[in-house]
Amino acid sequence: MSKLVTFEINGQQHEIAVEPYETLLWVLRKQSHLKGTKRGCDSGGCGCCTVHVDGKAVYSCMTFANSLEGCKVTTIEGLSQGSELDPLQTAFVEEGAVQCGYCTCGIIMTAKELLASGQALDEEQIRHGIAGNLCRCTGYTKIVKAIKKAADSR
Amino acid sequence: MTNTTVVGQSILRPDAWEKVRGGKGFPVNVSLPGMLHGKLLRSPYAHARIVKIDASAAEALPGVKAVLLPRDVPQIRFCPVFFVPTLAPSMIQDMLVMGETVRYAGQPVAAVAATSWKIAEQALELIEVEYEELPAVFTADAAMREGAPRLHADAEGNIAKNPIFEFGDLEAGFAEADHIFEGTYKTQRVHTCYMEPRVCVVDSDADGRLTVYSSMQHLFGLREKLAFALGLPESMVNVIKPPYIGGGFGGKLDIGYIEPIAALLSMKTQRPVRIEQTRYEDFITTTRNPIEVYLKTGVKSDGTFTARYARSTLDCGAHATHGAEVIMVHGMFGILLTYRCPNRTWEGRVVYTNNMIGGGYRGYGSPQGAFAVESQIDEICEALKLDPIEFRLKNAHQQGDPHPFNPGFTLSTYRFEDCLRQGAERINFSRRGKAGSGDGVLKRGIGFGCQPVWVSGCMGFPDIYEHSGAIIKLNPDGTANLSSATVDMGSGQITTLCQIAAEELGLQADQVRMTYADTETVPFDAPSHASRVTYSSGTAVKAAAANVKKRVLEVAAIMLDESTEQLEVRDGHVHSKGSGRKLSIAEVVQRAESPFVQMTAEGPKPTTIAEKGTIIGLSSLAPPSNPSPSTVEFVEVEVDTETGQVKVLRVVFAHDIGKVINPAGAEGQVEGGFQQGMGYALMENILFDQETGACLTSDFLDYKMPTAVEMQFPIESIFIESDEPTGPFGAKSLSEPCVTVPAPAIANAIYNAVGVRIRELPITPEKILAALGKL
Repeated sequence: MSKLVTFEINGQQHEIAVEPYETLLWVLRKQSHLKGTKRGCDSGGCGCCTVHVDGKAVYSCMTFANSLEGCKVTTIEGLSQGSELDPLQTAFVEEGAVQCGYCTCGIIMTAKELLASGQALDEEQIRHGIAGNLCRCTGYTKIVKAIKKAADSR
Repeated sequence: MTNTTVVGQSILRPDAWEKVRGGKGFPVNVSLPGMLHGKLLRSPYAHARIVKIDASAAEALPGVKAVLLPRDVPQIRFCPVFFVPTLAPSMIQDMLVMGETVRYAGQPVAAVAATSWKIAEQALELIEVEYEELPAVFTADAAMREGAPRLHADAEGNIAKNPIFEFGDLEAGFAEADHIFEGTYKTQRVHTCYMEPRVCVVDSDADGRLTVYSSMQHLFGLREKLAFALGLPESMVNVIKPPYIGGGFGGKLDIGYIEPIAALLSMKTQRPVRIEQTRYEDFITTTRNPIEVYLKTGVKSDGTFTARYARSTLDCGAHATHGAEVIMVHGMFGILLTYRCPNRTWEGRVVYTNNMIGGGYRGYGSPQGAFAVESQIDEICEALKLDPIEFRLKNAHQQGDPHPFNPGFTLSTYRFEDCLRQGAERINFSRRGKAGSGDGVLKRGIGFGCQPVWVSGCMGFPDIYEHSGAIIKLNPDGTANLSSATVDMGSGQITTLCQIAAEELGLQADQVRMTYADTETVPFDAPSHASRVTYSSGTAVKAAAANVKKRVLEVAAIMLDESTEQLEVRDGHVHSKGSGRKLSIAEVVQRAESPFVQMTAEGPKPTTIAEKGTIIGLSSLAPPSNPSPSTVEFVEVEVDTETGQVKVLRVVFAHDIGKVINPAGAEGQVEGGFQQGMGYALMENILFDQETGACLTSDFLDYKMPTAVEMQFPIESIFIESDEPTGPFGAKSLSEPCVTVPAPAIANAIYNAVGVRIRELPITPEKILAALGKL
């Protein structure tokens, strides 16, 4: 049975009919055409689908859409303001942290939550912070550098 | 070294700007109007004959538009591997898109196209399949035993291929040896773990002409293999180049089942059909083949090789596919060619089992060989108290030698010794202690591994495609569009090739843009594989750019009324060495593209016929050689002798790469390569239920690969540059050795730390504790 759920995506109110089995990932990709959120495994194992729900980074493949009534969802598309990129996005480009790029948006969303507290972050905290996001191309070296750069320049 | 301005710079990846904002260009995002969603029904049995299929209930489900059963599928036997001709005699044509027999758990037996993935999934549950279960075998040993069930009628003893190479006189070589060493080294099945699942959209028009989008590493291979499997002429298939794909690493070098099945479903429904694999499906689609290597080596007391013998047994799974070629690369580049030795014999056996089929993966047989060879060299040096660096150098090939694989080529640049010495110095190898000599629970060790000889593509391999092509077109604003069939799977091909074109054309890197390509409009290019793109595609791009430059100079010469010999391009301009005058490339292009009277800011200007025409350059060529890079990697580890856990502390990687086109990109290859190599060494393993053949590690919760936490150590890259005379701006290759060398380096470091030799990957804590007598 589908159910109407009202929630915010990137600052805009949406009223969406969702089936009980439909995850936030599928709603974002299919119904909202927000393709920046990626499906890597659909089982909470890779983090490619990470978005924010009420400011907290979550796996959207593990979040049922019908649980989102009244929530605020932010995706990678909501991070930049037009051509103005988030400092994390710029740091990822400048530090060479992007290779195939499939994991990139999920990691940036996880890092965004890490940076939100405003507290200083050391390398170890960053590595533990993104341990739920897999990357197969980079060995994480330049990803950690990029996050550190964005963290230090807050 | 050639003087360059763009090549050699760590240019930022142009595709990264889009990827950090979502990345529209991934094939997983392709969506066409009216598109249907396909799903495959997969066999629960590892070996069975299909007796009956009843799909009537599925067909009747609202939303289902087509059901595909084995009887609807052309029964054409094919080999799915992209980079060889379909009927290459070295390969084995033993697959059907769907047939009456299944040979591994998960092989497709039916497919559905429906208006939603959910309906397609429901429809699969309504298909009733009656199987006659057949006896199955899950190890190469069991499959070769007398009385084992035969998987393919024409493969006696389940041996798919049995190549042998012999050089010199093996028996005499062993007779000459002062010492003989033997060992058996086993590697496991691992997955490339590309992050973007395999996905395709196929759209058939009314004439049966197919337009194909897919996450794969080779446009032309997909066209050829798909057309063959469906019995179509290649001109009926057009493969659209994805702007980029979400990783490949060799795991997307063959048609999966999804492309031909989506094509047949699209032909049936006359609608575009999309199939996206689940992660479980990806885990059973391609893998690095497990190989067991028996290695016997004869040496003189001074460390000179006198004889090397190896027998490699590769479990190719249900179909030979890549296994038939992996075994060859493994035997040659993984074992026999690595060092000099007058007497060498290698035999390989590719064995059918009821396991999943194998695939490509960075290194392509070499990691399995290097683990054996480099581990055993360490054992020899330990036993004979020889210096492992001098030992390797004593047996190494030398710069100027004929290429050990193809004596028609020369090792023009070959700096293996520099790799060994500079790497050793950086990690301070001389401080290495005696094996297992440390005190305390946590013991440290240093080790290294080498890939002394590798490839820059496949020039010289008789059956493998190697030519490349490119089209470069100039725009009136003075920028260039580069169109090539080379797929960027993340390793930076777009950036590298644009840098090469820009260098040749005297432009900035960001003035060259990689643009659209498909199999109907651009020249053939071999796949993004075999560490080949920088060298081979780079050679083609440079040639296309040279053709563009030639035409720019011709038009500029007319405009300036000077001879082309007086002109050169740099800084986006044509400069006259004689008069000092200059024209921007934009002005030249505008003149070439103008009507006969050109409207300019200064008023109308008459032009000539000789100046007219779009400035465009084309190339399609095979590279002149196959220069060998060489690679050494040093690793320091800490082993916890109570828990058996291994922690990598530091990595130093030295690589004879030729000219580095993009240093930051090259570092990224090394860092990511080590992650894959470390996963192979310590943790990754695809496991199957030995009763049923069902995959037990089919998601990232069960299949463990290194996270950012396990990767917390410095990785230092030393690039030893030389000017390879046959390469574009002196470049050779990188990529694959980064993945090949970590496993033996780590195994040797573990031995140095705790004094136990593990000859079977992955080196898990359990194996270490057992070897230490603590389990």
